[in-house]
Amino acid sequence: MAKDRKMIRHRGDLFQSRAGYAFISPAFLVLVLMVVYPLIYGIVISFFDTNLVNKFDFVGLKYYGRLIKDTSFYASLGRTVMFTFFTVLGRTILAVLFANILVMDNLPYKKAFRAILVLPWFFPDVVVGMLWRWLYNANYGLFNFILRSLGIIDGPIEWLSNTDTVMWAVILVSIWKGFPFMMVMLLAALQTISKDLYEAAELDGCGVVQRFLHVTLPGIMPVLSTTLMLEIMWCFKHFTLIWNLTKGGPVDATRVVSIDIYRTGFDYMRFGESSTRAVFVFIIIIILTLIQKKMKRSDS
Amino acid sequence: MSKRKRFPVLALIIVILGCLMVLVPVYWMIITSFKEAPETFSNPPTLWPTKFTLDAYKKVMDVYSFGSFFGNSLIVVVLSTLLTILVSTMAGFGASRFKFKGKGAFLGFVLVTQMFPSVIMLIPYFRILRLYGLINTHLGLMIVYISFQVPLCTWLMYSYFETIPKDLDAAAAIDGLNQWGIFRKIALPLSLPGLASTSIYAFINSWNEFQFAMVLTTTDDMKTVSVGLGQMIDDTMINWNDMMAASILASIPLILVFLFCQNLFFSGLTAGGVKQ
Repeated sequence: MAKDRKMIRHRGDLFQSRAGYAFISPAFLVLVLMVVYPLIYGIVISFFDTNLVNKFDFVGLKYYGRLIKDTSFYASLGRTVMFTFFTVLGRTILAVLFANILVMDNLPYKKAFRAILVLPWFFPDVVVGMLWRWLYNANYGLFNFILRSLGIIDGPIEWLSNTDTVMWAVILVSIWKGFPFMMVMLLAALQTISKDLYEAAELDGCGVVQRFLHVTLPGIMPVLSTTLMLEIMWCFKHFTLIWNLTKGGPVDATRVVSIDIYRTGFDYMRFGESSTRAVFVFIIIIILTLIQKKMKRSDS
Repeated sequence: MSKRKRFPVLALIIVILGCLMVLVPVYWMIITSFKEAPETFSNPPTLWPTKFTLDAYKKVMDVYSFGSFFGNSLIVVVLSTLLTILVSTMAGFGASRFKFKGKGAFLGFVLVTQMFPSVIMLIPYFRILRLYGLINTHLGLMIVYISFQVPLCTWLMYSYFETIPKDLDAAAAIDGLNQWGIFRKIALPLSLPGLASTSIYAFINSWNEFQFAMVLTTTDDMKTVSVGLGQMIDDTMINWNDMMAASILASIPLILVFLFCQNLFFSGLTAGGVKQ
């Protein structure tokens, strides 16, 4: 009987190879026609001076040469790095903090707390943008009202129209919207850590901080590093929230690369240059991924 | 960590502060939507509407034609999610159950597409859809959303199928079921939890999408909820009660997911991530 089954399986494998292609072929077609084709088209456009209607002038690497010398592009790259760094940092701190509390056995109303804390993740980006625009409203918004009631500020502050505050205001919203995802991932990772390890550490006289460093952190590290990488890539190309809060303004103070690419293409109709910038960002993301892969390999 | 121990007060305070940080903005959105327009311009702001009204919701539906935005979003998002799930489930099953040449390359490529910044495809799609007369159509937007969701959903379904024991397939093969039969009668019913969380994921992502919908739709009768809401801010005389009412309407589908499928969704999403 066992031999029979093995034989059938073996024969099955041979037969299966064609069936495998049949099952993946729709997805393969989608990938080739709807992902690879536009992607290559995008790279091709980056070598042309074009309005996409009647002008297609080949300019070769002209836009790449120009881009490398373009200080305003580096400024927007710098803003993107700042936005990404502080958003991911803030999300990580909140996520680690709340996940570690939510995993405790004796926390009352655990389910209710968890449900409330994941809530921001379930609002669309555009909604979060509009809601915070209203909260930040200088005269009638709740944000200034609370800060004034607490005596932290004296007069109304235009958080989103002031070049000094706008980036921080945007980052705060981005943290608020995004920390739940990481929190949920970490919560799942924390639940896989054996309670015995904590008890052993406690018996050995480890304090809260030592327990976190020697038991919790190694336990969540694989999930944390994967999630961090995802978050960094998402933040680096993020558009919707920033666009709906500031449209990149005031005076380019929140013009990150995704907004820069959009404006170059659809506001100034310089589609070739816009594509050049997108390709450049693509290359940066590839490099980041390769670095992460290398780090992961040297870890294990 | 014995259960008898009292819960540390500091941790409880932190969690309550966290909940306030989430709930206060949400509360502000809800009460603003029930206020009359003049009341939104009171200083200091009122923390409960002096006159409770549904005017803002009426205005959003009548003046800002939110009904049409909502219909467009539903058509595009539901249809593209269904097609995505069909394609991805088949591919996930195929990659998980069969040995064939190029399988590794296929799965690797599925992952690599996740790195592409989607903005790189914005201009090509703008051009391609115009070339084929699909700009400002439901079909055009569906094509774009399918292209976004298929790679990740394929990967999620592949991971899910990998967790289902393969012995059953072999048994079914002995019973004379062909591959399609095994897929439909054995694997598909077993993969329902994974299928559900993957569908929810694709639905949420597409419902949220803003940038491509903004570029690829040009007239109000084709715009999606996120684009319709986004352009309200350009109105010279926006009222914040209307804005917040529109925001709440735009969130309804995702809030329904939150209320009814939250656990399913998160267990499906974390199952793949935690194991690796």
